[in-house]
Amino acid sequence: MNENKKRKMTLATKRSIVGLLFVSPWLIGFLVFYVRSLIMSVQFSLSTVSVNTASGGYQLEFLGIKNFIYAFTEHASFSQTLVTSLQDILIDVPLIVFFSLFMAMLLNKKFTGRTLIRAIFFLPVIMNSEAITSAIDAVRELMMGGLSATSGAMADAAESGVNMDYYISLFKELALPDSLLDYIVGAVSRINDIISASGVQIVIFIAALQSIPSSLYEVAKIEGATGYETFWKVTFPMVMPHIITNIVYTVVDSFVNSEIVDMAYETAFRQQNWGLSAAMSLITTTIVCLILGIVCGFIQKRTFYYN
Amino acid sequence: MADKAEYKKPKRVNYKKQKQLNRSKAGNGLLFFLMFICGIFMALPLIMIVNNALKPLDEIFQYPPKIFVKNPTTENFSDLFILMNDSWVPFSRYILNTILITAGGTVGHVIVASFAAYPLAKHNFPGKKIIFSLVVLSMMFSYNVTQIPNYMIVTWLGMNNTYLAVILPPWQYGMGLYLMKQFMEQIPNSLLESARLDGASEIKTFWTMVMPNVKPAWLTLAIFQFQQMWAQTGNQFLRSEELKPLQYALQQITAGGTARAGAAAAVSFVIAAIPIAFFLICQSNVIETMTTSGMKD
Repeated sequence: MNENKKRKMTLATKRSIVGLLFVSPWLIGFLVFYVRSLIMSVQFSLSTVSVNTASGGYQLEFLGIKNFIYAFTEHASFSQTLVTSLQDILIDVPLIVFFSLFMAMLLNKKFTGRTLIRAIFFLPVIMNSEAITSAIDAVRELMMGGLSATSGAMADAAESGVNMDYYISLFKELALPDSLLDYIVGAVSRINDIISASGVQIVIFIAALQSIPSSLYEVAKIEGATGYETFWKVTFPMVMPHIITNIVYTVVDSFVNSEIVDMAYETAFRQQNWGLSAAMSLITTTIVCLILGIVCGFIQKRTFYYN
Repeated sequence: MADKAEYKKPKRVNYKKQKQLNRSKAGNGLLFFLMFICGIFMALPLIMIVNNALKPLDEIFQYPPKIFVKNPTTENFSDLFILMNDSWVPFSRYILNTILITAGGTVGHVIVASFAAYPLAKHNFPGKKIIFSLVVLSMMFSYNVTQIPNYMIVTWLGMNNTYLAVILPPWQYGMGLYLMKQFMEQIPNSLLESARLDGASEIKTFWTMVMPNVKPAWLTLAIFQFQQMWAQTGNQFLRSEELKPLQYALQQITAGGTARAGAAAAVSFVIAAIPIAFFLICQSNVIETMTTSGMKD
């Protein structure tokens, strides 16, 4: 008995050692590069940071949670920007996820020129790289001459020749609730951002759709399921785990590009207030993590795993 | 007999209808049209870049700007090479640097992330949950905010001003690990179990069972990582001119203003073209894995 038990233990420990061995290359790098910088950020947020210009290096003076209190109560626009950034994320995420799932399903079909069109939908991801945006800006500036700023503003005004206010008031007559109206207006006015922010998600969904066994579809067809039924009973449950992946990616992506992060960056590198900046980013990180935890926990319960 | 005939009849009609629904040309046309409209908006900047690269100088400065080129020339590219021959270090050096950084970062990240994702998805070991929540947490930290600690850590490791400073940190990006884990969770346990019963070691199971089954996933990851590594300028860490990547050189050219407008247009073409080519190659391989995915039961 005892021997048997012992042998079982060794198998289990063996397995976990193998598991740890597989993780170790990643873990070591992670501990070295990221954990330390997280700890440093926490340290910064609890103190004032001053740089020694003469000798190099920096000094920390412990402040407690004063930076956090300052950010919430005294900073001119922190709370407001935080709320609007979070609102933007909450509006964008469901739209991006559904749009990209829809697009991925279309792009997964067989038609001529599919690879080309897939590439086109991935373009915004490539176009967002710094060098390309700066190149495009440079070319645009050259074409517009010194008037770039004004002509840009004029072009914007001319483009939206539609009087948005008129339409909004028209919809208000319909007695739609204001919050719903705000949501729709917000979504419509950001449609370009939404399309261009869903390149990565589309590719993830395509990979997810590709890894659904075709036998499942065959069975569904033989059983006489309609396309609608096949989507809800086969496709949707099978891509469910990747909906979570995409939600996480979208939240992270739109958070990293949000105004609040810009603000933290400005505070650090323009105003040289590193402590406050670290506090700001810690606050937003915590809030976003909380939201993500709630949303993912909610969906994870309803997720179907293949095993 | 009559019963059977009655039973068969509606079925046949149904089948025909469905076939028409799936294969109709009108449906395909509509699909194509829909994506064409969305696609045009996305493709416009690229069309502009391609055309700008071929425009002679007078057309680049034309106002109001035209999208399509009238008299295409390759002058911009020869300008670029002339400009590059005068540079401090040979142009080929920048290209070599970029290839090293992109290849090192992409291959390393795909391997490290897959290695780490495998036990997180399919094994049980102490601390698994903590590691996984650390992964998610690390994704939340914006790179801009952790710039200063990052710099200090790289200096502390003595990797400042080496390739390693740019190649190694991206290996630990959380997103790739997360993506691989989500895909590996879908591999049936029975498949891995049968491999183990046949006496395959864990490494062998990993390479011959797990990786081929998640080929769409790691190709997708390679696309993302390639794109990110390609865009690295290495501005913070690489100070020697002979270590700097192509992106940096090209940034300097685009910053050159009016006199270098032609070369800048050629440059943006080069920067955009290579990730797109890589994407096309990987995506066509993602489609090929359709045949192997039948292995899942």
